[in-house]
Amino acid sequence: MNPSPEYPEWYYEHLERLFGEERAAWARLPREEREKEIRWYHAHFNTPDDLSEWPAELDGGRDRP
Amino acid sequence: MSSPLDFLRLFADRLREAGIRFAITSGMACVHYGLAQNTKDSDWIIRPEDLAKLRDLFAQRETEGWRISYRSIFGAPLDQAYLGHGWTSHLSVWSGGDSMENKVDIFGQPPRVQASEIVADAEGWADRHVVAQMKRTDRDKDWPFVDGLGLQLRLAGEARSLLHIRDARRLREAWVEASPESRRNMALRRPLLAMLETVSDDLDLERLLAVERAIWENVNRERYGAHERVWKEFYRRWRLANDFIWPVEGPFCGQHDHLLGAARIHRLAEDPLGDAGREALLRAGLQRAARLLNAPEKEINLVLPPIKEMLP
Repeated sequence: MNPSPEYPEWYYEHLERLFGEERAAWARLPREEREKEIRWYHAHFNTPDDLSEWPAELDGGRDRP
Repeated sequence: MSSPLDFLRLFADRLREAGIRFAITSGMACVHYGLAQNTKDSDWIIRPEDLAKLRDLFAQRETEGWRISYRSIFGAPLDQAYLGHGWTSHLSVWSGGDSMENKVDIFGQPPRVQASEIVADAEGWADRHVVAQMKRTDRDKDWPFVDGLGLQLRLAGEARSLLHIRDARRLREAWVEASPESRRNMALRRPLLAMLETVSDDLDLERLLAVERAIWENVNRERYGAHERVWKEFYRRWRLANDFIWPVEGPFCGQHDHLLGAARIHRLAEDPLGDAGREALLRAGLQRAARLLNAPEKEINLVLPPIKEMLP
């Protein structure tokens, strides 16, 4: 399956409903452009760990977001 | 300092060189498929029988400046006996002196994915069906990805799109487009599809979609909870031991031996789903879903996926 297929307009409109305008605009970019943006995000922002410290009640960690 | 994307490619190359079979999944796969932007962590499905080779690879890389560490969160030793039964190992990897910390989660038997369906492309990305199955969690933020991946599968002409599309209108369109054989096969896996023939009101269909999602969410909650319970019990026993220390410093093989030894001594169950019983977990999940949505048993049964889809 093509990893970077071109999608019809309705698909991006659907993404806009699912994820918002900004994400849908990003999804419209060619893969290389998308990657360039991701690299910028990675370089400038720290994203939280998807998982909690463990165990919350024993070590004072966070619950799963 | 390398970026998470550079690390991803580097690690994939090293796995390939070592003959370790893998698929990159979850958040990074959603980035790859143009659906997610904000993840740095990477999730890897590794064949459980290849985990010994992965530990060897880590030992070799440590001689070349890598650092690998268990993260001190809920997770199991990187061992076939655990990961082959649905546990996950959580690691941090630094791929050189100036490397950032790369959070790496390793699955052997990922939740809701049948082993025969674990497929990766030439670059190592798990296919959209696998990622969509894994995203059926009890977290709201994961569900839009299921729908998005389903739509991508539909646009690629894949019948399995019918398993994942969650938008009522798009699901009807995909159903009409599908061959009779695909409809039959997919309805066996997703009974809600059979209702498309008789339910004409989209609001009624959305209700069924909500009940179906509540089933997946609550069965996942029970699945996760079964692991959580045995981990808590293990960790409490371990912490009472005189020689308790965690995390430990040093080469990964030493950390691994320490954790695996503790798991054996303090009885971290290898197969929590088998021990709890999948049927019992399913029943508990269904009861919760029914109460939350005030859904009668008849309605639950209309859309109830087979247990082997939810707890393979």
